[in-house]
Amino acid sequence: MPRKSSGVSRRRVLAGGALALALSGMNFVVSKNTSRLLGAPRGRRVVVVGGGYGGVTAAKYVKKENPDAEVILIEKNQLFVSCPLSNLYLVGLINYGQLCFPYNRLHTKYGVKVINDFVTDIDLPKRRVYLSSGYIEYDYLILSPGIEYDFYEYPFYEEASWFYPGAFRPGSEHLYLKRLLEEFEGENVVFTVPKMPYRCPPAPYERAALMLSYIRENGLKAHMYFIDANEYPPVLREGFMKAYNDFYRGMATYITGATIKEIDIASKTIKTDKGDVRFDFGSIIPPMRAPKFLEEIGLIYDDEKWVRVDPMTFETKVRNVFVIGDSCESYLPKSGYAANSQAKVVARIVADRIRGKEPEGELIQHGVCYAMVNLRSAIMVEVEYKYNVKTRKVKKILREDNTWKVSTAKRYHEWARGLWRDMFF
Amino acid sequence: MDRRGFIKTCTAVAAASLASPSLFINSLKAQELEFKAYKKAILLKKDGTSLKPEDVDPGKQYIFFYPHRATPCILANLGKEVPSTEVKLSDGTTYRWPGGVGPEKSIVAYCAICPHQMSHPTPEFSFINYYPENIPSKIVKRGGVIQCCAHLSVFDPAKGGEVIDGPAPQPLTAIVLRYEGGKLYAVGTLGKELYEDFFDVFKPDLRKLYRSTRKAKKLVDKCEVTEVEEYAQEVIRC
Repeated sequence: MPRKSSGVSRRRVLAGGALALALSGMNFVVSKNTSRLLGAPRGRRVVVVGGGYGGVTAAKYVKKENPDAEVILIEKNQLFVSCPLSNLYLVGLINYGQLCFPYNRLHTKYGVKVINDFVTDIDLPKRRVYLSSGYIEYDYLILSPGIEYDFYEYPFYEEASWFYPGAFRPGSEHLYLKRLLEEFEGENVVFTVPKMPYRCPPAPYERAALMLSYIRENGLKAHMYFIDANEYPPVLREGFMKAYNDFYRGMATYITGATIKEIDIASKTIKTDKGDVRFDFGSIIPPMRAPKFLEEIGLIYDDEKWVRVDPMTFETKVRNVFVIGDSCESYLPKSGYAANSQAKVVARIVADRIRGKEPEGELIQHGVCYAMVNLRSAIMVEVEYKYNVKTRKVKKILREDNTWKVSTAKRYHEWARGLWRDMFF
Repeated sequence: MDRRGFIKTCTAVAAASLASPSLFINSLKAQELEFKAYKKAILLKKDGTSLKPEDVDPGKQYIFFYPHRATPCILANLGKEVPSTEVKLSDGTTYRWPGGVGPEKSIVAYCAICPHQMSHPTPEFSFINYYPENIPSKIVKRGGVIQCCAHLSVFDPAKGGEVIDGPAPQPLTAIVLRYEGGKLYAVGTLGKELYEDFFDVFKPDLRKLYRSTRKAKKLVDKCEVTEVEEYAQEVIRC
């Protein structure tokens, strides 16, 4: 049994693939691998599930805050691919390679054990995480598995998303969507936004703006039908609405508060409660939820879609089990930057608990998001929650800069570079 | 602090005490926690003559590189006397920052690498800047701050670089200055340093600028002081 505990190693494609399907709700019956992968934990083992913005940051920062901790990061992909900035990739402002990072430095520089495998089950009472290759026991569990598309409640989105990717999960969807955009010669582009909450609230509105810019730059005679389940952009409303009016007037029809009833791929028609839309090409963003396995292990209940956590500590109803990032119900909007910030809060709590104490002072969650409104300019929003552990008081800051600027777009790039430095260097 | 560092520190502190007894006391306190002595480096103008306090315009921001050839620092004249103060880290430890130098005790310097995610001035952009009183920050609506526009960390240069707002987990590293015989010198750093990570993260960029990491890491004994607006093609404020 190859123990992938000394860095990134090859995953077992076949076994892992089958188990991943099982976790995707495909009703495959796969028996648990009951081999114990590592020795018994000694009170300082932290298992982190999910190698996205939250998981990578949590793994690194637990080690930074407490080098005595034994930190294991479990991630199914061999390479990290960023969703933040991926809209810029779609229209050719950056290369795909700029979004990709390997996990190896977490091991070589910080001593995090990176295991490249699928999680097949989690037994909370026994404190075990099951992988295709066996199980690992933990003292502390940090779950950061991101989102999945909610095909359970909205099955008609599934086929549509194969043909016209929502590209809200990192990786191949973006590659394919870019190709579709570059090959597009038709007339009608459709773009759909699910009802909040979903991953990265400004991202669909940024993508719409960038796709419209792309259409104009490339002299395409296309019209966009922008079907939004929300009444308005949930963030940076003023900036986006002004940009749509100033830059793209006549190029798009913005259908707001619309509920999609059916998507017929054969006739390329989206049926909504506000009328039908025929399209030639599009990006159909399905509604989202936390991954279903969180429900199966008991962390999501009452037909909810996100994990309820203490909004200041991210601890679930199970002590020493934390959920961060897009999967949890939190004050910060779902985003990579928010997950990075939440991960630092949890890393501090876990590092302190391993030392036998609780954190003091302030726990700060901070979110900054940028969004392009055309190929050169951007707007931005900042939100912060400062929680005083002693007084239990929360101080909130919200600042929006809805005036688009070229300099804000430059800050956007530095914002992302900083995040990646923070995670991978 | 290791034995070698301790001896270096004592030497620097002893030398400093000749110039200023109060600095000696402050430095001794600081030395117990975070002071690190480097080569004593004179601050120079572009023409090679020594920089005098009156050359540091309170309405502008300046950059020099210290203690390494590639590590940028912000120099500013806060336009008022800046007293010594206690700086607190998130783990509860503190150190005493000695305050401003010069005849008005108004000149300060800080490492210009943001302790949040290491944005720093490059020949292309400067995202982290000093905001004099005449150019207030739009974030905290006032001047007299150092602010990084990538993730909106704001620092107080009058209080040892402590964090006023935003996500930075620790204060800016202070550059300890001395004023002797009408000239300004940098003698060391105070606070948590980021140099090890800086050289690791930016290795490819530094190779381009300095040809090798070894050259980028070289310790300096003189520093040319330039206006940030002259050094970086674009100064980005917010």
